[in-house]
Amino acid sequence: MTQLIQAIVLGLLLGGVYALLASGLTLIFGVMDVINVAQGALIILAAFMTWAAWNETGLDPLLGAVVMTPAMFLIGYGIYITTIRWIQGKPPSTSVILTFGLALIIEGVMGFVWTATLHRATPEYFNQSFTIGDIYLRKAQVYGCAIAIGVLAILYVILRVTWLGRAIRAVSANMSSARLVGVNPSTVAALTFAIGVATTGAGGAIAAVLYPFLPGSHYAWISRLLGIIVLGGMGSLPGAVVGALLLGVAETMTATYISPQWATMVPWAVIMIVLLVRPQGLMGQKLREDVAL
Amino acid sequence: MTAARGLLARHGAKLAVGALLVTILVFPAISDNRYYQTIIILSLLLAIMASGWNIISGFAGYVSLGQTVFLGIGAYTTAILSLRVFGPDEFGQAGANPFYFVPISAIVAGLFAAAVGPIIMRTRGHSFVILTIAFLFVMQLVVLNWTELTYGNRGLSLPLPTWPREWGNLPFYYIFFGLLLISVAMSWWIRRTKFGMGLIAIREDEDKAASVGVNTPVYKMLAYIASAVWIGAAGGVYAYYLSFIDPRNMFDIVYSVFVVLAVLLGGRGTIWGPVLGAFILEPVNQITNNDFNRWFGEGIWDANVRLMFFGALLILVVLCLPRGIIPSVQDIFRKRRESRTAAEVGARFERKPLTVVERGALEAREAPAGPLLEIRGVDKRFGGVKALDGVSLAVERGSITALIGPNGSGKTTLFNVIDGTMPPDKGEISFEGQRVDRLASYRRAHRGIGRTFQITRLFKQMTVLENVVAPLRSFSWRDLGADAVSGPEAERGHELLEFVGMHKFAGHRAGALSYGQGKLVELAQILMLDPTLIMLDEPAGGINPTLIAHMEEMIRELNRQGTTFLIVEHNMPLVLGLCDPVCVLARGQTICQGTPDQVQADAAVLDAYLGEDFVLEQKAGVT
Repeated sequence: MTQLIQAIVLGLLLGGVYALLASGLTLIFGVMDVINVAQGALIILAAFMTWAAWNETGLDPLLGAVVMTPAMFLIGYGIYITTIRWIQGKPPSTSVILTFGLALIIEGVMGFVWTATLHRATPEYFNQSFTIGDIYLRKAQVYGCAIAIGVLAILYVILRVTWLGRAIRAVSANMSSARLVGVNPSTVAALTFAIGVATTGAGGAIAAVLYPFLPGSHYAWISRLLGIIVLGGMGSLPGAVVGALLLGVAETMTATYISPQWATMVPWAVIMIVLLVRPQGLMGQKLREDVAL
Repeated sequence: MTAARGLLARHGAKLAVGALLVTILVFPAISDNRYYQTIIILSLLLAIMASGWNIISGFAGYVSLGQTVFLGIGAYTTAILSLRVFGPDEFGQAGANPFYFVPISAIVAGLFAAAVGPIIMRTRGHSFVILTIAFLFVMQLVVLNWTELTYGNRGLSLPLPTWPREWGNLPFYYIFFGLLLISVAMSWWIRRTKFGMGLIAIREDEDKAASVGVNTPVYKMLAYIASAVWIGAAGGVYAYYLSFIDPRNMFDIVYSVFVVLAVLLGGRGTIWGPVLGAFILEPVNQITNNDFNRWFGEGIWDANVRLMFFGALLILVVLCLPRGIIPSVQDIFRKRRESRTAAEVGARFERKPLTVVERGALEAREAPAGPLLEIRGVDKRFGGVKALDGVSLAVERGSITALIGPNGSGKTTLFNVIDGTMPPDKGEISFEGQRVDRLASYRRAHRGIGRTFQITRLFKQMTVLENVVAPLRSFSWRDLGADAVSGPEAERGHELLEFVGMHKFAGHRAGALSYGQGKLVELAQILMLDPTLIMLDEPAGGINPTLIAHMEEMIRELNRQGTTFLIVEHNMPLVLGLCDPVCVLARGQTICQGTPDQVQADAAVLDAYLGEDFVLEQKAGVT
């Protein structure tokens, strides 16, 4: 029983972090119809930069999120201007291939700068735990989840309350109509992409403490994130949160009751099942697809 | 001299390809440089992969990022059969000759494709790409974790070749060469058959292909199998060649992307583009890996630089050379040719007097009693919107029935439900007295339902004539292998184009047509189906008055020959003059059905659609 509760609680804590990491991917997809396969590599990049800052200056890696977020925002903006901008309106597979190229470049750069060895930021609290009854909760896990929820809340407020948020939602609903009412879709797309990438700043900082990582880890991350957004419904932010929590629990349960080896299979299995059984995901909408072509 | 240049321009590509093949064939006799042999062997492997990928992704347009899954399946099939099933030694020191199992590898890869293809190809676009990646990783994890059979991470060591040492890798060299020839020959054959034309149609517009009678599920499955078998065979040979395989290298996503890059570089959807791309990319890969450090100093080129280099190359190709080398070069030649025949390209649309088209198949059809098409209580929802709310409608045989109603009233949705583009949530649809609401779109086309689209949907990359002969009246396995454009079909196609007045454009790309011209070609296209019922979605929308008159004339002509029409149209003078009965749809329901006069007088119709002043305007127009 304790084992079960432990697995569920751990899964939910992981899920909170996953939700933040998946939010950027789903936001970019929802507005721009681009699957940013490089999102996993960007998370690892943020993790490496967090690790480097911690290693050089002793900056607390979780606090590093504050610095990493604007840094990743700028990187995201740069990526949009140089590459993504040019493939808007091309067939969907183009964006997957292009961003895969980006992921390879980022992986190469990280290997070049930091070498392909396992890294991990280890502040003094990283192996301390809270205990509630029989349940152990790693402090880093709890802090990480709390930060993730905080950043998600900020993101939610930006999307709901600000003009930019309304513009983003308008473009995601209908790009040509948004243009008619004075929203410039390319500005919105640039900002959306930059914000989507900025979420990897905090996400990567948290991941740097929670998991050991190396440049090639991005495949595991992108598979997990794709699993989450496919499960939740591609393009849906609430869907990403629900999908993340479910996937977090599914992974810890598989690791606890079957074997950690098969836990890596969970995201892929989820993707296959969801896309085949309910392609629009849990919270994705089935829109009237026959009207505009 | 000029003759030689003409020969080069026309057959340049073939000559280059022939030269390349002969060079590969005789290279080992000229030079015994093992390093170059290795480069050619790996290029041949990549070319086989690329050629296979091209069938599913270049012809059919389903982009896969997991094509190496078949390499892995082939490699593990051969390795496991030779070591674990027929091999005497469980440590794999001496097993059966792996070459025996290469055909089995091909079959197993094909079976996997046949099993998985129909499932994953129910999705499109992003979802399909993600699923192919998922399939690759799932297979990798299965092989990794099924340690009793595969030894997981430790990999499998195959027996060493038993042939004389001085042969070196030549047996591998020539087997890969043979596999590539088979693979390319198959691509070439597919491209010139009905099967290949169906795949191109699916790439251009899958729903449209189904609506003109292409059996899309079978086409896609066959394409997936065709794209897998030779890769599976190559996997078996590759395992033996490497003599050691492990899950990570055999089910490698980066190699999958490498395959995609090769095809994009050479030219997607062409026969030789994938081969050309592979023979550029793999040598670059090998030379940079092996020679750069020798030339420029140690440490210049390592795994990280390689990732950056190929990542950047991938981005560059996607952004700057999206169509690939061969199509881009062909374009240059085409432009030069067309500049000479510009006069014909700019030819004015010219209408020929209508010729009565022979419609033999029609008389043969016996007519059961009752309406031709009957719709009873059809519902269709999109999320919260109820687009169709219990629609009932009957189309009498031989009539020209109009379907009118305000925008968003569900007219096009009703068309989509009738032709099978989307299933109804509830209700029945009968055609010629038989239920059709559970039939796939292409089967309804075979039964004799043809429809056009509000915004014309032609296969843009095909010529006008190819568009017209693409529809299929039935499905048979034998037809798949028939010529894409056979003699009688081409004749009939020309006849139909003459009927609509577009025969001068037969050789033009459909994508270059104007909107109105497209409407005419689309009509000719569905006439190829010999339909009993033609559904036209706004035939007069957005075209000039002369063309509208022409369209009206053709509809009458066809109707006189026995074709029934169901027409959605907003042009009221046309509807009221041409159609009887008229059916009015509003808010997803049929609110009125009757003669034009009855409909014009109906209070509900005036309220929902025509408006109070409609009658006045009509009168003003008449006087």
